[in-house]
Formats: sequence, C-alpha cells, structure tokens
Amino acid sequence: MTTLPATPPSTPRSARRRPALLTTFLILPAALWYAVLLVAPLVIVLVFSFGTRARNGGYAPGFVFDNYARAIQKSEPFVLSLEMAIFGTIGCLLVGLPLAYFIATRARRRKSLLILLLVIPFWTSFLIRTYAWLLILGPDLGLAGQLQRLTGADRIQILGTPIAVMIGLVYGYLPLMVFPLYVTLERMDRTLIEASKDLGAGRWATFRQITLPVALPGLVTGSILVFIPMMGEYVIPQILGYGRTYLMGNALVTDFLEARNWPQGSARAVFLIVIMVVTIAAYVWFVNRGRRTRDVSVL
Amino acid sequence: MADRDLFETLQSAGGARMSRRGFLQVAGLGSAAAALAACTSGGSTPSTAASVAASVAAPSTAPSLAASPTPMPSYQIEKALYMYNWAQYISPKNIDAFKAKFGVTKFQYDVYDNNDALIAKLQAGAKGYDICSPTAEFVPRMVQQGFIQKLDKSRLPNLANIDPVFKGLWWDPNDDYLIPKDYGTTGILYRSSLLPSIPATWKDFYNLVKGPASGKTVFVDSMGDVFVFPLKMLGFSANSVDPGELDQAKTILLEIAPHLLALDSNTYGTKMAKGEASLALGWTGVLEQQMSKVKDKGYVVPSDGTIFWLDTWVLLAGAPDPNASYAWLNFIQDPAVQAEESNYNLYATPNDKARPLVDPTVLNNTAIFPTEEQVKALEGSKDTSDNQQRLDIWEEFKQNIGKG
Repeated sequence: MTTLPATPPSTPRSARRRPALLTTFLILPAALWYAVLLVAPLVIVLVFSFGTRARNGGYAPGFVFDNYARAIQKSEPFVLSLEMAIFGTIGCLLVGLPLAYFIATRARRRKSLLILLLVIPFWTSFLIRTYAWLLILGPDLGLAGQLQRLTGADRIQILGTPIAVMIGLVYGYLPLMVFPLYVTLERMDRTLIEASKDLGAGRWATFRQITLPVALPGLVTGSILVFIPMMGEYVIPQILGYGRTYLMGNALVTDFLEARNWPQGSARAVFLIVIMVVTIAAYVWFVNRGRRTRDVSVL
Repeated sequence: MADRDLFETLQSAGGARMSRRGFLQVAGLGSAAAALAACTSGGSTPSTAASVAASVAAPSTAPSLAASPTPMPSYQIEKALYMYNWAQYISPKNIDAFKAKFGVTKFQYDVYDNNDALIAKLQAGAKGYDICSPTAEFVPRMVQQGFIQKLDKSRLPNLANIDPVFKGLWWDPNDDYLIPKDYGTTGILYRSSLLPSIPATWKDFYNLVKGPASGKTVFVDSMGDVFVFPLKMLGFSANSVDPGELDQAKTILLEIAPHLLALDSNTYGTKMAKGEASLALGWTGVLEQQMSKVKDKGYVVPSDGTIFWLDTWVLLAGAPDPNASYAWLNFIQDPAVQAEESNYNLYATPNDKARPLVDPTVLNNTAIFPTEEQVKALEGSKDTSDNQQRLDIWEEFKQNIGKG
C-alpha cells in the first residue's frame, strides 16, 4: 500500500480520486463479508443475551440480566471446556512440535511426502474420521479389544473416557498445530544451531535458547488455531467421549434446541466469544510486540 | 468384517431417524416365526389372520382396496394430487387404488428427510403441494406461520376410526389441523443374552441399570424422552411440571447417572450390537438400522406407561387440489387401506379399526405395535421446554454422567 507512487500535483481531481475509489471497491466484498457474517451475528447474540424466552420458545425482546446470572451460576460446562481446550492444546504441542521439527530438519527428500500425508486426511469428512476412531479404539477389533485379549482383563473401556476424547482432539487438530510450527522451523537459520554447539551449548540449551525462540511465533499461532475451536468442540466429546462430559457445546445445544431458550444460550455464547476475543487480543499484542524484531506472518 | 463394521458405522453416522420406512423390516421378518406361533396359539382368530394374509399376499389387492366401503364423495375431484412426504412412507398399492377409485391421474410423491427440511422448504415459498406429513410437535409452529389450513371435518367421516388416545393433544387441542398418521414409542431396548432378566417396567429397568447393566446402559440424548423414565416409574405424568414430583425424579436421575455408559441419540444401536451396551432407553429405529444382525435384541414398551411421537397428515394452505386432498385424507383412514399402510411402512397406526386387519406378523412385533393395554398407558408428550426446573435437573444429570 505504501508503495503507491505519489500523485503529481498537476493531475485533475477526478483522476486523483480514482485510486481511493478503487480501494473502497476492492475492500467492499471483504467488508461486507465481515459485516454480514461476523459482526451482525455477534451483535444479534449480544442483543439476544439480554432478552427473555418467548412463550413458544425463541427470543422475546427485553433487557434483563437473568441470563448472565444463570450463565455464571452454571459455569461448570465453561470450566470443563476450558480445561479440555488447555489440555488438548498441550497435547497437540507435545505431538506437533517434535513432528514439525522432524519434517522441517530431518526429513530431507521425504519432506513433501510427509506434508502431503498430513494434508490428505483433511480431504475426508471430519465426522467420518472421528467415527473411524470408534473402530480403532473400540471393543472388538480395536485397541480396547486387543488389550483385553492380551491382558485377559474382564473389560477394558477406552471409548467414553477422557483418554479417548484427548486422542480424538489431538488427532483432529494436529495439522493446525504442525503447519505453523513447520513454517517457522523450516525458515530457521541452521548456522545458529552450529554456532550454539561450537560455543559449547548442550542439546537442551540449544533447544531452549535457539530453536524454541525461533519457533515461538509458530507455536503461538498454532496454539491459538487449536485452542479456540477446542473451546467450542462438541462433536469429538460427543462421539468418542460418549457424551459423558457436559461441555459448552452441549450446554448451548441444551439451551438453544432443548429449552429453546435463545437468550439463555446467547448469554452462554457470549462467554465463549469473550474468551475468543481475549485470546486473539493477546495474540495481536504478541504479534505487534514482535514485529520490529522478527517475521511472524505465519497466519 | 472390519470393512463391514466401518460401513455400518458410517451408515449410522448419517443421522438419527432417517427415512420413516425400512427401520424394522428385518426385525419384522426375524420375529415372524415367533409372532405366527403366538398368533395361532390364540392371538387373533385364525380366520382374520388368514384373510389378511391373503389380501396382503395377493397381487389383486389394489382393486379390492378400491372397492373399500368408503363411499364416493359428492364433489368434483381434481385429476392430480401433490404429496410431500417422508421417503417410502405410503404404500404404492394404496396410491394405485386411490388413483383408480377417484380418477386421479397424476400422483406426485416428493420426499424430505426431516421436519426442518420440510419447514425450510415451505418458508422458502414452496407452492403447489397439497398434503404433507410433519411430526406433530412441529405442527403448531406451521399453523402459526400460516402453512396449514383448517380441516373441514364434515368431509372426513373416517376420522371416527382413529383411537381417541391420539386426539385432542397439546399440538392440536381441537383436532382442527392434523390427522394422526403413524406413531412410535419411547421405550427400552435390550439384549437378552447379556441380561439376567428382561425388563417389563421402568422399575425393572431402574434395577437393571443400577445392577447388572451398570456401565452398559445408554440413554438417548433427549430431555423429553429421558424424563419419561423416572416420572412414569414413580407413577406421575411424563409431562409433569410439579416441583415436588420433579424433585423425586431428580433423585432417581442423579442416582442413575454414574451407571450410564453413554448419552447418545445416533449410534446407541451400534453400541448394543457390539455388546458394549446391553440396555438402552430409546426408540425402535436403531433395531433395524444398526442391529439388524443381532439375534437377541428386543424392545419393550414399559407397562407403567410412556410417551409417543406422532406423524400426521396436514392439508397445506393454498393446496391446488383440495378436493382430491380430502378424498385422499378420508380414503387413507379406511381400516383396510390403513392396515395396508402399516404392512408396508412398518409403523403403528393410530387407526384402531385398522388394527385387526394388519398382517399378524407386523401386529405382533412388539417393536412396531404396542399391545392394546400398552396403548392405553401411552401419554402424548407436552411441550415442557419452558420449565426451568426440568432444564436444571437435565443439566445436573448430564454433568453427573460417568462420575463416581
């Protein structure tokens, strides 16, 4: 944008206005997109959250705080979702960081193949991939069944436990963690590591002082990409967790579909939105803070 | 086998209640022998059974249905009828018979696969349909939005054939807008080989869940259906909003919650088929969809009472062929015609005059038709979704599943 040539003072007014018009015109679709599909729904949710339930369900205008009072009073699903999203993000990091590191630095010629293998599952429906885990972890041919046969135990149940949910979460969101990490690690200047070694640093010190700081932007981006959708995750806990944990997603389904109490659901949704906004604000702050020193345009 | 498993899992991933027909086909055939045995040992009289069997089997059914006792109406009937309905929900034999009898040449049958799709299509301004079949609880909303016209009951004498249990319910207190079409119940699914005894009541169910079926019981993820169990077990209405009664129901639900394997409306049949679960509170659809190969499956309508869902006939506002529509709506409630409907779509009919004419293998399949005593204990479900106490109990119940 800054590279636009300065307009000579002699050009007529209309010609000078053209680039501005063009800019407006080019921005319009994106602006409309955000206004209609992002801002408007958020405003609707906010307005609804102060309303009351209509007699036959839905929304009736009003200005009450009952919905928030209830959302705060019944905060367990929120806390559970937060817990799950935090553990899920840590899980993705623990698996994603070594994987990204391996692909970026050690895979050599197999690099593109490995990346392709990471992408391919994305071409399959998310629901089908999640259902596939029912078989992989399941009681007959799956992991639980095999373990049962091996150990001779009476009954080993993996599906329906937090372990199954965690496996599903890490599996489902892993690529979103790996790609930003891969991009940063791939660009890492390898001579830095050599220098670090030459200067007598051990592996751990090199990782802590060189690799980790370099990977940090990717790590933050990946964590955000993973954390935010996990907060609202509904399908994986429902299918692999057998619906045994009552999360934000479940609470919203109960409010909107079973109680048909849109204002109550909206108040709860506002909490999710607040968490999302806070996380993204923290991210933006982080990006701006780092702008002068390093390139963080991973997103 | 693994492939087969995957195939079934993916199929069941498709959705909860898919098309209306076809749920119970195999279940019906599988229990045919047992049902026949039951019937010859004194169920219905042999002569009725034989004649029904004959009329069902014979290819000449269509003309005989066309000659049904329902008299011809006096008004002029249009040559076309436009039906918007669930897939395979109406017997082609009945359609042919109707066309022959009333001189209708064009019978258009378009399908939708859930109520929301139907309403969305009407909201989008779909014109030209005469009749459709929403589930009863969706009807008030459709009436409110002006999609449905009031019925002229003087043109529908066959409505007298419908069991009063299915009339005058909350969704249409004066029976002005809808005609009951087919119904199904909320009940207990079980695998007999995995349980010491077969439950007959909610009380039996409760004892099994706390004992031998602990950790092996699935509930459908549906508030209205789950509340039926504690309330009916305690002898209250399934629609109770009495604070004291709900408190007692809460105690039972919280006591049961730690014993549940899953809360799942879509694949509980698969869980039972694999033997992960031996008992479920749910609907009959999965018996055929997900448990077709399971030999020891069964379904019980608890004798202490339960609720039912009801699909209905409604006449759309602005129907282009009102006379043909009335002719159809009356014709379809003719007992012989309605019996053929049940034989075809394998759903219970609320038309109790048709009951004795239904194929005994269908009638005696407990997963399709409740017994007459069970029908008496049925209760139409009310819309209780505005009750905050129910909602609070439901949330607390869900939070306690798998705990402890």
